[in-house]
Amino acid sequence: MPRADVVVIGAGLSGLACAAELAGSGASVFLAAKGMASTHWTHGGLDVAAPDGASTSRDGIARLAGSAGHPYARMSDHVADAVAAHRARLDGTAVAMVGDLDMPLAPIPTALGALRPAAILPMGQGAAVGPWEGQGLLLLGIGHFRDSWVDYAARNLTAGAWPGGPAEIRAVTADLPGLDARNNLNARTLAVLFDDPAWRARALAAMAAVVPPGAWRIGVPAVLGLEAHAEIHAHAQEVLGGAVFEMPSLPPSVPGVRLFDELRRRITAAGGRIQVGFDVVEVERDGRRVRAIHTEAASRTLRLAADTFVLATGGIAGEGIRAHRGRRLEERVFGLPVTAPNDSEWFSDDPMQPHPIESLGIDVDDHLRPIDPTGQPVLENVRVIGSSLAGMRYLEQRCGDGVAITSAHVVARSLAARSAAA
Amino acid sequence: MPAGAEVDVVVIGGGATGAGVLRDLAMRGLSATLVERGDFASGTSGRYHGLLHSGARYVESDPISARHCIEENAVLRRIAPGTIEPTGGYFVATPDDPDDYLDRFPAACAKAGIETEPVPLDELFRAEPLLSREIRAAYRVPDAALEPWELVDGTLNSAREHGATAHRYRAVIGFERDADGSVAAVMTRDTRTGEEETIACRAVVSAAGAWAGQIAELAGARLTMSPGKGSMLIFNRRFSTAVINRLAPPGDGDILVPVHTVCILGTTDITGEDPDDAVVTEEEISALLADGERLVPGISGARVLRAYAGSRPLYDADEVSGAASHDESREISRAHHVIDHGARDGVGGLWSIVGGKLTTYRLMARDVTDAVAAALGNDAPCRTADEPLPEPAGHSPYWLGDRLAAIEAEGGGDADLVCECELVTRQRLADALDRRADSSLDDLRRTTRLGMGPCQGAFCMPRAAAMLDARRADGRLHPAAPDANVALRSFAAERLRGTRPIAWGDQLTELFLTAGIFRGTLGTDALPEHTGGDDAAS
Repeated sequence: MPRADVVVIGAGLSGLACAAELAGSGASVFLAAKGMASTHWTHGGLDVAAPDGASTSRDGIARLAGSAGHPYARMSDHVADAVAAHRARLDGTAVAMVGDLDMPLAPIPTALGALRPAAILPMGQGAAVGPWEGQGLLLLGIGHFRDSWVDYAARNLTAGAWPGGPAEIRAVTADLPGLDARNNLNARTLAVLFDDPAWRARALAAMAAVVPPGAWRIGVPAVLGLEAHAEIHAHAQEVLGGAVFEMPSLPPSVPGVRLFDELRRRITAAGGRIQVGFDVVEVERDGRRVRAIHTEAASRTLRLAADTFVLATGGIAGEGIRAHRGRRLEERVFGLPVTAPNDSEWFSDDPMQPHPIESLGIDVDDHLRPIDPTGQPVLENVRVIGSSLAGMRYLEQRCGDGVAITSAHVVARSLAARSAAA
Repeated sequence: MPAGAEVDVVVIGGGATGAGVLRDLAMRGLSATLVERGDFASGTSGRYHGLLHSGARYVESDPISARHCIEENAVLRRIAPGTIEPTGGYFVATPDDPDDYLDRFPAACAKAGIETEPVPLDELFRAEPLLSREIRAAYRVPDAALEPWELVDGTLNSAREHGATAHRYRAVIGFERDADGSVAAVMTRDTRTGEEETIACRAVVSAAGAWAGQIAELAGARLTMSPGKGSMLIFNRRFSTAVINRLAPPGDGDILVPVHTVCILGTTDITGEDPDDAVVTEEEISALLADGERLVPGISGARVLRAYAGSRPLYDADEVSGAASHDESREISRAHHVIDHGARDGVGGLWSIVGGKLTTYRLMARDVTDAVAAALGNDAPCRTADEPLPEPAGHSPYWLGDRLAAIEAEGGGDADLVCECELVTRQRLADALDRRADSSLDDLRRTTRLGMGPCQGAFCMPRAAAMLDARRADGRLHPAAPDANVALRSFAAERLRGTRPIAWGDQLTELFLTAGIFRGTLGTDALPEHTGGDDAAS
């Protein structure tokens, strides 16, 4: 029977970061998840805080911390440390982060040609931020890749307001070797092709051939390799003759897959164990404490006992919380109370704007233990992190990654301190 | 034809009935044009449960309608086989269904000319293993699944082959009438460009269905409709291979129709005032699922993709027969009725065709065309039951098997799919846009099934929007068509409308994932209102 100091449930950014930090501090960690999570769906950058009007992430944190019930209201002092810890984990890898909490939030172009605010990005996307100072933006698409829409994106970027933006916006498309007869390509398929040095050399040459003369920063689909990304990115900048940044599009997210792979390596290198693909099917309790969880496993269940359980299963999108008919909300592992907005209407009419229901989640105390409506902890040795937490609208406030790593850091540090004391 | 007349007949309404009238008029040699305020088949015809009725549903409540249904069922199988999937159907008696109805059912069907056959329960459960084991009797009937968009499209194409024209996004805003009160012209407005056009004519057929009362009022005639809202749920897969009907007087949740890769549970019936106000309520959803449980236990825990409502074109019985008023819309006859507003309201040259079913659309068209043709001195016979509809160019886009076969022919697993859920290829969309360069994404959905699968457009919407934008840049998009950003937003809003009433379980998760892709990664919340000029792309 596996036993660990801490069992982390969920393999999104918060669960991975928490397990990595705990494992790095010497705790025994078992991470159990029913599947891949947010990393594989999202853009791979670090959205810490960019609510409307925020000038920097730090300013954004302060604004969000001022609203009662937001996770930052109880954690804002820890964000800087959490970002530092996260960056330290990733430094020297292909997913090293650039930018910091005090950098101006800059509008960066999306694959559809809208602008979204960002400050902290993986190295491969870093050249999207920073003043344009007379440089042009070249969107370089890949032929036969159905999720690259550079002409449409260029027209949208031209149509929209972009103060301080590029001097010129152009779109070009390169046909890459061997793809003439290929259509059913996704970002990951292309990334695997880029990992092959021989193919990559020909592909980058074909891309270079369509770059017009001029001083460009070049946006390319986020497909520049998985394992060899750092090398490919450097190679691309050299061959294309300008700073190159990746532009994430529809899932699967290659930047996110790289991040998942790197954090998984970190966890296992530090002795942590990971099991992805099996749901939690049973919880053993002893009053207000959880003794063990059982997950599915081949032809049996697997009992995982631990001192502490970290719930990092996400909200509705991560399926940590499930809505049933009649607006009944269920936290799927421990049956924790779920807080949802009181509004009679959960949705706005506009699919492009926030829905009130997005703020749903688990209410917690200062130790991130789940609480009931009277404020009492429901389970004393359970901590809740990431987008399971109530009180934020992470898409609108662009705070999901920051809350994930900060809550992971707060929990990991307090548990590590406790196991050091024990 | 009087001087100044542009056509013999203007047909108002581009649903199945209007398309059928247009075709019938054209086949009799009358010149005709059709105007539709939205897309073709975007009203009641497109918001439909997918059933080719055998008529058995109405054998007791509405025997005339039952007979019409079985006759037209045979006609449609002959003239439009490509729009029909011959699923067959069963009427099944649950413990809640009345014994006396069960006893009378076979004889009532026989009287209406509907072939039924008792099915032993062990045979029923072998064929339909998900059905409730509490079902105590079953009859086989000649029901089938019917594809409304393809039917309307084929009917309009046939009408065009006979010289008629049809215009979508053209709303009727008024009528010109002669001194004697009769209709002389129809005033229309393009709903996208605002351009107005008056079409002089000798006669007008209002096939506006649930909206026919509004059209009559514009012409100074009187017609009180009593639209019945019918709400339906779409599940992400089939629970039966055949149509399953409750063996009971018509009620809520009484039918399950396998359609394409999904199935549709219907149908509530609520008398409503406004056919544009077709909002599905939580009460209706609960009622549908509770009744669905009696047919397929566990169905209420299955994944619902969408909820939607159509508006039945029922008329107030007092209007046409002087019969006593009925409270419940289901008791109002489904049978159709031709109203001559010249004889009744002094508005000569205007006929309304109301009531009826999609299954009987051709018969409805025949009856009103008979009246109009006679008035115009045309005695050509109706031939719409004899001549098949034209086959769609290439193969039918609708049946999954056809799409799979086409994709195999085009490159197998490496086909250029824009919509992975419904296997819609880039070529398919390009063909649809070649045919109708003024299409929005929602219009493309009706002609190709784009975005109708489990992800409800999360992946295909931006891909298809980029296609629209490329065509606009090339000058291949109609100037009146919405640009890609407008099309993207309105399609997303339309998809959301159908998801909201059933936003729980997997479909709510899907909605959150879609929001994450759109707003989180693609930044659609900050997308410019309109996409820009074509100077950026080289």
